[in-house]
This record gives sequence, structure tokens and C-alpha cells, in this order.
Amino acid sequence: MADPPAPSLDQAQHWLQDAITRPGDPAVPAAVMLAGAGPLTADHGLAIYRNGYRKRLLEAMRRLHPALCVLLGAELFEEFATDYLDARPSRSYTLARLDEDFADHLTARRPDRDAPAARREAWIDALIDLARYERAYTEVCDGPGIEDEPSPRVHGRADDAGDAGVTPAPCLRLMRVCAPVHRYHAAVRAGRRPAPPSPRPTCLAISRRDYRVVVSPLPPDAFVLLGALASGTSLEAAAHTASMVLADARARLRAWITHGWLLPVRREPVLHHCPDRRTNPPAQPRIPSQHEETSP
Amino acid sequence: MTSEAVAVPGGAGPSSSPHPPPFNGRAPLDGPDAGGRGLGLGLGLRAQHLPHVLGEWPPVGWFEIISENFMDSGGYPRHALDRIADRYPIVMHGVSMSIGSTDPLDMDYLHRLRGLADGVGARWVSDHVCWTGVAGVSTHELLPVPFTEDTLRHMARRVGVVQDVLERPLVLENPSTYAAFANSTMTEWEFLARLCEESGCRLLLDVNNVYVSAVNHGFDPEEYVRALPHDRVRQIHLAGHTDLGTHLIDTHDRPVSAPVWDLYRLAVDLAGPTPTLLEWDEHIPPFPELLAELRKAERYPVHDG
Repeated sequence: MADPPAPSLDQAQHWLQDAITRPGDPAVPAAVMLAGAGPLTADHGLAIYRNGYRKRLLEAMRRLHPALCVLLGAELFEEFATDYLDARPSRSYTLARLDEDFADHLTARRPDRDAPAARREAWIDALIDLARYERAYTEVCDGPGIEDEPSPRVHGRADDAGDAGVTPAPCLRLMRVCAPVHRYHAAVRAGRRPAPPSPRPTCLAISRRDYRVVVSPLPPDAFVLLGALASGTSLEAAAHTASMVLADARARLRAWITHGWLLPVRREPVLHHCPDRRTNPPAQPRIPSQHEETSP
Repeated sequence: MTSEAVAVPGGAGPSSSPHPPPFNGRAPLDGPDAGGRGLGLGLGLRAQHLPHVLGEWPPVGWFEIISENFMDSGGYPRHALDRIADRYPIVMHGVSMSIGSTDPLDMDYLHRLRGLADGVGARWVSDHVCWTGVAGVSTHELLPVPFTEDTLRHMARRVGVVQDVLERPLVLENPSTYAAFANSTMTEWEFLARLCEESGCRLLLDVNNVYVSAVNHGFDPEEYVRALPHDRVRQIHLAGHTDLGTHLIDTHDRPVSAPVWDLYRLAVDLAGPTPTLLEWDEHIPPFPELLAELRKAERYPVHDG
């Protein structure tokens, strides 16, 4: 009987990827597709790739979610992460985006998902919010920032900003969470093992300045105001939405522009000077802390 | 290796080195610096060493970065890299190009890669002779390809596209492998030689990977190194591996083993002075220890021609 035709490159790659990423035995035995040579049998070689794949991705998930890993414990975290990775395999070239859908996946998998919101388990809300927070933290820490932006004091005046409008800094994230998960996260990063976060609705602005992640709890009305301004609403309308006196709203706006959370929209075209990174004089080296909490 | 090929001896630090010329997006594919001769010994730049590098400006000939760690970064690591690139030559080493995949090339990825290469004035850009996923999935593993004529044509065509986008030569590394396709019709070293010939790519010869694969698959590592087109070897990688008794794993977590140093001696004998880089990715030691391990490469003389 003639040998079966050799698989095409595409067939070979689909077979190997499925054999590595999917649990259970591959559709075609490894010994058919792979050559045994030296000390490694085809099955043994395939097992090395399977284990390496799982290990690498779980390590990446642990690095992205150190606090959630502590909150759940290593075993339960691995179970949740494995379920996520099996359900939603990575489609990005970078491991930094591996957890982009993790919080959504946890939400979809929560056992009380069909219960009315008021009857859902608070601790599940907290762990999902912690997953969301850690994702946002990563984005703020390593994403685009405002360090190379010209100072608003130079190119726009905080006292008249809002007339022309503002735009959110690319490193600004606004989060309403059911518990102060940011404090739990900070404690874990500092090497402590804090008590699980207790339910307490909290509004957070997460941003970055001089490469430091800055996390600021906000009063609910300020949070609404900031959200409205960040979405392009005029100052007057945003103040109305937040049920805030216009003068107070304007004062908040000035502070947020100074913080670099909101960037004034320039009225006139500004000729941007693109700094030549290769000829700028080097600044003094400094290593930023990863987290700093401020008052609004 | 002679002092001509090594920047480290004599303490020729980066501050006294000539500033690498920016490419301005017009890097010649075969200019005078195409071989990278004179770069000498380099180290893989890792996040935990950024404070030391920025504070001490240590005497290293050049740094290699993992491209994907910086391509989308607007945070502190990218800021630090830009300052380091002002003083040291930078080479980019990627893990996600998936040059062997049957999925279409990710043009967004390639343009981002090009942007980073332009931004840091990368001397060259490298990746691996492998694929990382199909059907839109990324396994983040460097998976083996069948060494066949079909694979060769497929990969050579894609190398051409990548080089057009990057406007730089693509340098491809032999990965460590733990499995080989049964339908391969040529050896890995024959495949690499043919790929260089048909695509114009260069080689990043990882002598540790040669040794790991040789033990795992039962071939002669010296035969492999001798059979390569030595004039195409742009760079050499050194690294440590873990011996699990039945097989070796490429772990980058310990010093370079004696058999790998022997292969390195053979490689530089055959290829001449070649920029050499030490990789260390797990249990990373303090920078001075890393530098001391790299400097062991100075023991191996280079015989030009």
C-alpha cells in the first residue's frame, strides 16, 4: 500500500498548533507527523512544545496579574488563566496583550452570571474589578504618555482651557470599581499580603507622569465630571451632568490640566517640533516607582 | 578572537565610541557596515539592567533588544532605550515575525518593527527560522518548519517582502528544536544555506541552539556549523541550556557550556570576526556577572580568512 501523501506546509502547521494548544491527543498521532531521532520520540518532542506553550503563557499571566494571583491563590489563578487561554488563545504578537480579554472572560464565566445584579457575589465583583484594574495599570505604565508633550503652561493656559475643549491624555484611564482594588494591588506589589479588598464603591483615575503611574481616587461627582470632559463634553454641560457648580467644575478642570490628565485643545495650529531622540542631551537617569497614589 | 573584533578589551566604553550613524530609513542592504564587523561583543538588554546601564554606561560593544518588548512601548523602557541608543549600537531581535507561517505576513507588525528600527538606528533586524502560529493564533513559541522545497520557496518569498518593508537585511536565527517533521527532505543546515542563497537573508548563528538541537535530534553539531555559508553569518548567539538527562532545553538561564564554547571556536574560525552576543533570560545575574561571562569569548581567537 502506498504511503499517504506528505502534508502541505499549511496542514503540518495546523496539525502542530492544534496538537500544542488543544487538550487531549492530536487528531493524527505525533509519530505519523514527526520524525523520532536521537533521544526524543515524536511524542516526547511534542510534549516539550505543549508544556513550553502552557508554561510561557501562564508565566505571562502571572506577571500581568500579580495581585489577582495572590487574591485567588496560585492554584485557582492557574485554573482560571488556563480556562481563559484555552477559550481565547492569543492573537497578538506581544505577550503584553495576552490578558486583554481576561476580565471579560471572568465575567462571562462567573457562576452567578444569571442572577440579578443585587444578588451576585461581591467577592467575584472584586476579583473581576482587580483583573480590570491590573490590565489598565499595564496599559498606563507601558502605553503612550505625555512625557514628550509640551507643557500646557507653554502652549495653552489652564485658566481658559475648556473654552476650546480638552482631550484626555493617552495614559488616562477612568474606572469605577466595587472595592479599593488599587490599594490591594499596591500592597501586593510592595511585597505585602493584604486582607482581601472589602466592598466599597470607588472611583479611580489612573494616569502617568514622569513615567510614574499615579492612581487617584475621586469623589463621585468629580469622576462624572472628568468622564464627561474626557468624552468631549463642554465644561458647562459636563458641570450640569455632574450636578456641580460651574466655578467648582472649572477649578477641577484647571487642576486636571495641570496634572496632565486632560490636554487643552489648541485653538491655533501649532508647529510641532519633533525632537531628535538621537541628539538630545541625555537626562539624569532615574527609575520611576511603579505606583503612587495621590489626592485629586 | 582578536582585539580587532572585540570592543570590550581596553575598556573602550560607549562614551568614547563613535556615534552610530542613523539609518534615516535608507540602510543599505550591503554597505560597508553590512557585516557588522567591529561591533565585537554585545549583551541582550534586559529590563532589570536598565538602571545599571543608564548609571554606569558599562563597556559593552552593543546591545540587542527583544523587538516586541519595545515596539508598542511608550513607557519608561522605551524612554531608557532611546537614551541607550544614543550611546550604543542597537541590534533588534524579534520573536513574532513568524516568517515560516502560512498565515499572511502581519504588515502592521512589520511597519511597527520598521518604525522602531528607524527610531533606534538598528544596525540590523533579526528573527527566527520558525513560525509562531496559524489561523490568526499566536502560540508565542518558536515552532519548527518542515525542511522541504515548498517551505523554502514560501519562506524565501516572505523574506523578500520583509526586507522591502524594513529596507534592511533580515537576519534569521536557527532555533532550538525538540521535534522535526517526518516529511523533511533536507537537513536544517542545507535548508539554511539554500534560504540564504535564494532570499538574500543573513544568518544569526546560535551555537547553543545548534548544540541543543544536535543532542536532541542526534546529529553532529560540527557538521552543521561547517556546512553553513560562513560569509552569510552576520551575528553569533551564545547562551546556556539545561541538561535534563534525556535531552537539552534552551533555557538561557546559566553560563555557556563547554561544548558550546567549542562550537563557538569553530564558528569564528570559519566565519571570521563576527559580532557575538550573550543571551540570558532567566535567573538573570547582576550586570557585572553577565559581562564577565561575555568576556570569556575573548579567549577564542579569530583567524581571518
